[in-house]
Amino acid sequence: MNADQSTDLKGWLPVDAVVVEGRPGLMWMEMSGLGLTEPFFQQTVERARRESRAERFTEFDVLLQTEKELDSVEPTGFIFHSSRCGSTLVANACRAVSNSIVLSEANAIDKLIARFITDADNPVKESLYSVFLRCLVHALAQRRTQNERHLFIKFACCSFAQLERIKRIWPNVPWLFLYRDPVETIVSNVRDAPPWLIDSDRRVLSSIIGNESEMSLEELCAGTIGSLYSTAYKLANANSMLLNYNQLSVPVIASVLNFFNVSLSSEELETIARTSEVYSKEVSGTRAFVADVDAKQKLASDLVREMSERWAGEPYRLLEQKRNSNA
Amino acid sequence: MIMNELRPGKHVVATDFDGGEGILVDLNTKKYYQLNETAMVVWKGLEKGKSMGEIVADITSAYEIPADHATSSVQRIVDNFQTYKLLGAS
Repeated sequence: MNADQSTDLKGWLPVDAVVVEGRPGLMWMEMSGLGLTEPFFQQTVERARRESRAERFTEFDVLLQTEKELDSVEPTGFIFHSSRCGSTLVANACRAVSNSIVLSEANAIDKLIARFITDADNPVKESLYSVFLRCLVHALAQRRTQNERHLFIKFACCSFAQLERIKRIWPNVPWLFLYRDPVETIVSNVRDAPPWLIDSDRRVLSSIIGNESEMSLEELCAGTIGSLYSTAYKLANANSMLLNYNQLSVPVIASVLNFFNVSLSSEELETIARTSEVYSKEVSGTRAFVADVDAKQKLASDLVREMSERWAGEPYRLLEQKRNSNA
Repeated sequence: MIMNELRPGKHVVATDFDGGEGILVDLNTKKYYQLNETAMVVWKGLEKGKSMGEIVADITSAYEIPADHATSSVQRIVDNFQTYKLLGAS
């Protein structure tokens, strides 16, 4: 496939970061008139692919040109999380806000953030990837209906480890860190392992938890979320909000949006209440949400409890202290 | 070639980063250049068609350095831009 360096990319979104014939770059898809309505960005991409939308590859430098050409929305708020803790529910609530764009775990964003770890072996590359990331978000946030006013970005959990670099690009954007009891989080991840936990390229996980060889899935997950809790504890400030899964309710979600400087109408609140009643990750939105704290605790093995306490127990308690002291 | 005829090449894209610094991308060679604050002031001055004297004035007003020092810095930066073939004639 040849790189198409034309910059007429209005209506096209960068849907993945890929390497084609040894050249790193972006796969773009023509997505005019297509709302990002699914819980995850890649689910929308799959729908677009079924419609046989046109796709094309460009190298990253095209982003510098598109940043000058496309009219886009600036970020309103960032959603970070420690995995399996209700962040999709919050992202869906953001989608209920009129004229909003919600980018939920878009591959291109999180893969580019991972390049800070895998490729950034010198300061020039780090600056370059920061510029690419800013331009990538600009391209994804382009106004396709001209009415868009808010942009919410939910990152993949491992991207939170790069928070300091992300804050350097967008220092004033308020951010949320959502987390959950480590035992419940590990049980969920081990029962249905997500790609980040079983990725054969362990460079990202190694950068988060150090030497991860010989670790069980339980230990790997515990080490990762423990590190994410520590990052949140260290970096949370007046521009951030800490939220535990066990706090989630419609009023609390509304307070998150207020924290993001969004005023909700009564209609938007009603929509949020409706979306909160269904399982957040299902495209159809028909499966009922069931709270599963007790079920997750009952399913926890001795190994899960041991690893949870060893790697994540203290960071979790510290984070809870910080959250409660800010309340 | 005199300074007033020098302009950024059409094959080069510049973008701000981290306050005053910047990145240049040569679309022909796919090479990237990181510019410090001073070099970025020079680049933006060239984009606006400013003369050497005007760019030197921008720098002396922003950084409180002597004009002769600023002049030699601007000349050195422009020489570097030319060495890397980042400029074209207006």
